[in-house]
Amino acid sequence: MIKLRINGKEVEAEEGEYIIDVAKRNGIDIPHFCYNERLERIGACRLCVVEVKGMPRLQASCSTQVKEHMEIYTHTPRVLEARRVNMQLLLANHDLYCTLCKENLLCKLQRYASELMIEDTPFEILHRYDEIDNSSVSIRRDNNKCILCEQCVRICNDVQTVYAIGLVNRGINTRVKPSFEHTMKESACINCGQCVVACPTGALTEKSDIQGVIDALNSNKYLIAQTAPSIRATLGECFGIPAGTPVTGKMVSALKQIGFDKVFDTNFGADICIIEEATEFIKRIKQKGTLPMITTCCPAWIKFGEQFYYEELNKNMSTCRSPQAILASLVKTYYAKKINKNPEDIILVDIMPCTAKKYEILRPEFKGEADFVLTTVELAKLLKQLNVDFVNLPHTEFDDPLGFSTGAGDIFGHTGGVMEAALRTVADWLSGEDLKEIDYKEIRGMEEVKEAEIDIAGMSIRICVVHTMGAARKLLEQIKAGKSPYHFIEIMACYGGCIGGGGQPPPHNKERLAKRIKALINVDERKKIRKSHKNPAALKIYAEYLGEPGSKKAHRLLHTTYSKKSYV
Amino acid sequence: MQDRSAKKIKLLNVLREIQKKHNYLPEEEIRKLSEKTGIPVIEIYSTATFYSMLSTKKKGKKIVRICNSLPCYLNGSLNILEEAKRLLGIDINQTTKDGKFTLEVTSCIGCCDKGPAIMINDKLITNITKEKLRKLLK
Amino acid sequence: MKTLQKTYLKAWKKANKLGPEKTIKILKKKGLTGRGGADFPTWLKWELTRKTKSKERIIICNADEGEPGTFKDKLILEKNPENVIEGILIAAYCIDSKEAYIYLRGEYAYLKDKLRKTIKKILKATKSDLYLEIIEGAGAYICGDETAIISSIENKRGYPNFKPPYPSQKGLYNKPTLINNVETLANVPLALINKDWNNHSRLFSISGDVLRPGVYELKIGTRLEKIAKKVQAKNPKAVYFGASGGCIYYEPNLIIDQKNLCKKNVMLGTCSLIFVNKKRNILDIAINIAQFFTHESCGKCTPCREGNIHILNLLERIKSKKATEKDLQLLEKLSIIIKDTSLCGLGQTCTNHILTAIRHFKEDFQVK
Repeated sequence: MIKLRINGKEVEAEEGEYIIDVAKRNGIDIPHFCYNERLERIGACRLCVVEVKGMPRLQASCSTQVKEHMEIYTHTPRVLEARRVNMQLLLANHDLYCTLCKENLLCKLQRYASELMIEDTPFEILHRYDEIDNSSVSIRRDNNKCILCEQCVRICNDVQTVYAIGLVNRGINTRVKPSFEHTMKESACINCGQCVVACPTGALTEKSDIQGVIDALNSNKYLIAQTAPSIRATLGECFGIPAGTPVTGKMVSALKQIGFDKVFDTNFGADICIIEEATEFIKRIKQKGTLPMITTCCPAWIKFGEQFYYEELNKNMSTCRSPQAILASLVKTYYAKKINKNPEDIILVDIMPCTAKKYEILRPEFKGEADFVLTTVELAKLLKQLNVDFVNLPHTEFDDPLGFSTGAGDIFGHTGGVMEAALRTVADWLSGEDLKEIDYKEIRGMEEVKEAEIDIAGMSIRICVVHTMGAARKLLEQIKAGKSPYHFIEIMACYGGCIGGGGQPPPHNKERLAKRIKALINVDERKKIRKSHKNPAALKIYAEYLGEPGSKKAHRLLHTTYSKKSYV
Repeated sequence: MQDRSAKKIKLLNVLREIQKKHNYLPEEEIRKLSEKTGIPVIEIYSTATFYSMLSTKKKGKKIVRICNSLPCYLNGSLNILEEAKRLLGIDINQTTKDGKFTLEVTSCIGCCDKGPAIMINDKLITNITKEKLRKLLK
Repeated sequence: MKTLQKTYLKAWKKANKLGPEKTIKILKKKGLTGRGGADFPTWLKWELTRKTKSKERIIICNADEGEPGTFKDKLILEKNPENVIEGILIAAYCIDSKEAYIYLRGEYAYLKDKLRKTIKKILKATKSDLYLEIIEGAGAYICGDETAIISSIENKRGYPNFKPPYPSQKGLYNKPTLINNVETLANVPLALINKDWNNHSRLFSISGDVLRPGVYELKIGTRLEKIAKKVQAKNPKAVYFGASGGCIYYEPNLIIDQKNLCKKNVMLGTCSLIFVNKKRNILDIAINIAQFFTHESCGKCTPCREGNIHILNLLERIKSKKATEKDLQLLEKLSIIIKDTSLCGLGQTCTNHILTAIRHFKEDFQVK
């Protein structure tokens, strides 16, 4: 430990720590755009500059390490003026129509402009007139609002290894773009939306479907909503409720209040997903099918696989649909019949954590099923617009017959959850027992790669759970080389799993994500039924409609196919 | 003898070779290079667009770069630039219709004692006068 | 010129007899400092790189000479590349490196073939197993910066990086890397062999409003008038030290050395002097240099990328007689903040010419 001073106060730090982190720990928030605890430090935005005694120039606190007896000053007039002028430079090269921007009131540029008391920019406004890229179904890119913090580039390339976008040209002409003037749609973008989460301004935002849903609510169609497992852990944050507080009941009430006729639970779809996937997995084990089998709930990972590894790995991908797609399929077939409605008169709105779901529902295999996807952030906006007093809403239960879920369904929302849910069913079925030990704690947590060897009925099942596509790619390369030691792999494209999805309220720091995960684990632990194959509502549908798990009808409605996707 | 990092590809050298052959960096060549080296296309493209002497857009057979840094400026580079524009009938960063010449302005090329100086492709040509320019830009 | 005297591998042989430690000691005694503009003690850079606990070390010869008004490295590469390569070999021996690169700016590509042949000849003559490759730059002034050269060789955009870590600790491919300028390396064998070698003797690149521009070997500490006479400067008004050094009012009695120039807020840098005569308007010169930096800014950090374009805009406002005293104050404030907050040497020096021009030649910056 070393001792140093920040703003006159003595603080302690480890050798090699950076000034910005030591300051944060001591309650001093230094403004920054390009610094992200999970990404390579680049020291580019220069907002985080501080005065260090003995050094002639101001130093960037994100990329300067502390030393014994260092004297640091974070908010002197010289520092504040430097931050102010750099902000004014950014503002002079920015689309300043904040009132018309999706990021209005959420934008970090606005926050710092306010904190630094900036009321004008003395510099000539540079009008960029960059073309807005609206081609992607999930993400909208407006380079007129980009401040070149490079977070999106680092996340897409270093963390996700998708390499859809990069920095192009030099100096004042630098832009973030796909290669060779291609559009986002043509690029390898997997729609995960991690760039949207990271972007401090309105340069990268999700493609909005709010108006479509408003129109639907005002039509005479039958409106159904389904909510993904992780929404209940994060929606509250948009209304000031502390992170980690599940808001399931309020969420259902809100949707009912704004006009949804029925609110179903995607967790139900998750339980069915487990029943199908466990059946598939056990079949592969017993009949020596292609292993390892990889979960396929994550549409961003699926696009990644279809783009980069289709020939080699398409047989490893589980044919099982994602929970959303399973429930959507049942809504437009089973449920439509049940309530005697034409499926075309039913509008299904998915409330999802994920911008990639906007892409998933448009896959030709899922045509006519889910009609809209609203992300958590979009739903919050809609509720606010319709004046819903979310915090004071009462608790409402999900609707039957597609609303009851077990704890296994809830944990789909975080990394390791799908695997844990699957193991609960696989272990029971392979052993023929109703096992009491159902908490697989070794695959929980924020580590990017988690592996375990589970002993089930004398068989040693080797599993691996990864999140972020960069970590997943290593496993995929291993499978490609024929060297994978695993039987079952769970891949989630977003850090932390769906609780860290592209549609979840930012910022996504480790602390906040951990709280969200804890919320889901608590919901699971408090439920009486925690195994998917014991879901009475699910079993009813099998008995009434689907037949046996893995039956022909189940395959037709609840499974899907993949195809090679091209990209530039 | 040669260790692993020495065997690493030096993208700048490879890109300069491709540019010499095709006069610019065609998208197809970059894709082939990406497949061969495993470097993602966007990374090659991102690097290529950073440098003044690399271009992903088609250029003329002869790229005429007129130095306008301080010493050449003091030696009358602006007059040479105007003359070049007039002779070729194009503005800066444009290519003649017959695809022969592209006109650009460049930073100091190290011929400050023999200015004004220009580059035509890889050749440094010094002590440029209007007459000399006329002969070079035929 | 002494710098162009060939040493014909005599110094390399001597170094091999003395051993790395004694060789570095001689360089320390002779006081050789870097000729790339930073004037850092060469022996110390070698020692720091040598002492690292790495299995491999790399050498980069910085031949990305790009400072306006600088053309001395070009002369050395044309007339005495052998010394440079000998310098690299001696460095490789002293710091125990098996891998070296010459980062040759793209505009000097015409020298590549001859350089390659010379390298082959010398490596054969010394039976050296050093890997020495030429990397061709592609037109980016920023790649003269040490960390930017590393980014460039690593196939990335020529973005500089924050220091520490210094290249001697963590450089190319994360290995300890020694980066030396062409003239520095050319001087290594001379310093080792010649008894009367002197660190004060530099190659000055002199150009501008002079009748005899060229490279001159002069001593640090020469009076400016002497230089002006030698190059036949006509009616000098100002002297610019490259684009990044800043400018001074022509004073015949000014001693040209780091200390005296520092007092005038000017950097000697690569010893490039650009004379400007009394007919010139300093505002026009400022616009020209601002255009240079706007074009060459890499774009990574906010103050340099955004600031330079506004420096240019403000200068053009002054030129078109639309500027007020407020604009001039803003120009000064912006220049100081770009200098104070930029990431690398380019940003930290790109406004020196503004700050010194406003101070010495205020009459050329007329505002309403």
